[in-house]
Amino acid sequence: MSEHTDRVAVTVAEWPDDVESDEGVVVNWFVGEDADVEESESLCEVQIEKVSLDVYAPATGTLTEILCAEDAEFERGETLAWISPAEDEAAQSSEQNDE
Amino acid sequence: MAAEASTRELTMSRAMVSAIAHEMRENSEVFYMGEDVADYGGIFDSTEGLREEFGYDRVMDVPISETAYLGAAVGAAQVGMRPIAELMFVDFFGVAMDQIYNQMAKNTYMSGGNVSVPMVLTAAVGGTYNDAAQHSQTLYGTFAHIPGLKVVVPSTAYEAKGLMHNAIRDDDPVLYMFHKRLMGIGWMPAPEGPKTPVPETDYTIPFGRADVKREGDDVTIVTLGLHVHRALEAAASLAEEDVSAEVVDLRSLVPLDTDTIVESVEKTGNLVVVDEDYRSFGVTGEIVASVADEALGALQNVERVAIPDVPIPYSRPLENEVIPSTEDIVTAVKRTQ
Amino acid sequence: MRVIQLSLAMPIVNEIPMEEMYEKMVTARTYEERLQEEYLEGKQPAFDISAGPIPGELHLAAGHEASAAGVVHHLRDDDVVTATHRPHHVAIAKGVDLDRMTAEIFGRETGLGKGKGGHMHLFDPDVNFACSGIIAEGCPPAVGAGLAANKRNEDSVAVAFIGEGAIDQGAFLESLNLAAVFELPVVFVIEDNDWAISMPKERVTDVENGAKRAHGFEMPGVRVDSDDAIEISEVAREAVGRARDRNGPTLIEVQVHRRMGHFMGDPETYRPEADQTAAAERDSIERLEADLREAGVTDDRIEELRTAARERVEAAIEWAKEQPLPEGETAYEDMFVNPPSGVTDTEPDFAAIGGDD
Repeated sequence: MSEHTDRVAVTVAEWPDDVESDEGVVVNWFVGEDADVEESESLCEVQIEKVSLDVYAPATGTLTEILCAEDAEFERGETLAWISPAEDEAAQSSEQNDE
Repeated sequence: MAAEASTRELTMSRAMVSAIAHEMRENSEVFYMGEDVADYGGIFDSTEGLREEFGYDRVMDVPISETAYLGAAVGAAQVGMRPIAELMFVDFFGVAMDQIYNQMAKNTYMSGGNVSVPMVLTAAVGGTYNDAAQHSQTLYGTFAHIPGLKVVVPSTAYEAKGLMHNAIRDDDPVLYMFHKRLMGIGWMPAPEGPKTPVPETDYTIPFGRADVKREGDDVTIVTLGLHVHRALEAAASLAEEDVSAEVVDLRSLVPLDTDTIVESVEKTGNLVVVDEDYRSFGVTGEIVASVADEALGALQNVERVAIPDVPIPYSRPLENEVIPSTEDIVTAVKRTQ
Repeated sequence: MRVIQLSLAMPIVNEIPMEEMYEKMVTARTYEERLQEEYLEGKQPAFDISAGPIPGELHLAAGHEASAAGVVHHLRDDDVVTATHRPHHVAIAKGVDLDRMTAEIFGRETGLGKGKGGHMHLFDPDVNFACSGIIAEGCPPAVGAGLAANKRNEDSVAVAFIGEGAIDQGAFLESLNLAAVFELPVVFVIEDNDWAISMPKERVTDVENGAKRAHGFEMPGVRVDSDDAIEISEVAREAVGRARDRNGPTLIEVQVHRRMGHFMGDPETYRPEADQTAAAERDSIERLEADLREAGVTDDRIEELRTAARERVEAAIEWAKEQPLPEGETAYEDMFVNPPSGVTDTEPDFAAIGGDD
């Protein structure tokens, strides 16, 4: 078994332009801890002021830990969860993702 | 984990949307029309993302003309298309009721079955967020009462998707009533319960089948929509006091699954019906009467928990008073024991 | 099976099939007159609405024939027509199965609706005709049919017939807006017979020319002041053509006259006798007949057309009266076309799914 590479942080990739606040709330998780996730899959939905947005998986692998549960608040840039990327799958998906 | 199933959970709105999207991809005759369904994605997220995938032609914003566009859906359905038309709030039915109950519901029958109306009418229902009398109703009784419509009320994401696939494919007119509080909207947080694992396949759930969401021996709680979750909460609380409650989720008002209800009452003897609609001349009376019809001997106690016969008030303590709470359900159950 | 064959030949003036229109109009008039006889029989001596071979209300369209004949001859079977509680002339013009329509009016099992709809709710999907009993109710479904045609990239059109009383009803106004803003292939035809039951037009609306309603919706509106079938046909040709060319909806208002009461049994005590007489004198059928003669059609030919119409009506009524009444148990059928459970009757089988704790 190959070693997993360093874990990858799940964060809000692009903070919305039209909000003033630097804080948000996690509204819904769509996967739980230990779930297999694919890159670009929607992992959870957060709300920042009135704006709802999805947070996507930055890598394929296993969602090892959720740091910010449903209804919990988070700050801009804060890590919401950790993904342990699967090396083989990471290699495969980077071959496929030539779009 | 079963091979077909996915552990991925979806909110009820996403589950509903995924079913609509699938059907729209499979069949070009399916289209959605309503107010603010295109760019806004439906004010209760009923069409979130659909316009981006299918365009303005198939996800149509319409003028504020319920009579015209619901009736247009009837006309398009009668020539074989499969429109999904949305009532932004079920409370708006008043301005379009003629097209709903005199056309959508009756044309199949009046034509002796020679004409069908394969449309879905979606409607956002329910209160608990202080939107007052004209924007908080469920009107389950009003619509279940009129012959000619199939009426379904999903309580979870899993059911929302399966019932929507069936509703769109069914050649008969279906009223699909989705509770705003269950959708999983950021600004109207849902309770625990409606967000469930949802299989990725396009499964269908039959109409007219109630679902026992929790088994129990001491009392039968029959309910639908939001109150399935309040009943489950009540059941959990009652279990700590050694009262074992069975929770039956109707899922469908028309057709109505009286068999499942009767089977449960024959086991427990005690019937508590919980409804987020007005008490008189509605769901609670109908369920009690149906059970009395078929299993009077088994019925020992009956409790009806519903919104009293008042318009739904605005102020928080007033709305909390009239919409049945988990505690109201617990209290009603205890009266049967 | 009786088939009444007519060879409908010339003359066709300006491409208007005059003989076809005349034949439809005479059929419609004869039909209404015969239905009136059948209806009133068995309701004597004092009018009992539910007695006799045709129970319930009956709204006859004697005097309206020109509007249906003039408009509908431009239509194909796949064009959708919705009509009102006074539908027979429109149904006849559209080619609805006359035998089954008559059986439906007589409440028989082999009627268009198996006896479940009756005279105000006639559906013939073979020619895309439907009528309904609520004022202006047919407008939104006609708009929907136009919407479907556009979505399917077909060139069929939809026509909604209404009375002049309907121009004040929300469903009509909303339908005009929807048809206009989506540029739908719909023609709205107002049959103005001056009376909404007992209310004369001027008492309930300020517009003398109902076609002006169109202007509030940026839509063309045309009024035909006399119920001249040829003039109506020319106006309709433009409107139907505009719709078929995908240039949007049109509103047409046609002056017709109600030769009988609003419904059978209506004593019309509200209606000045002069008005009734004037209506009786302006007969669109006589006018078209004169036009036919002018175009060189012989008296013999006209008589042939009239006889054919009469025979067709008689045959339909005779057939209808021989049909059985439906059995009581059938009242529970035809609520739905699919089973009550929809497209499936089994619960899907997934493990670890559902709301169960």
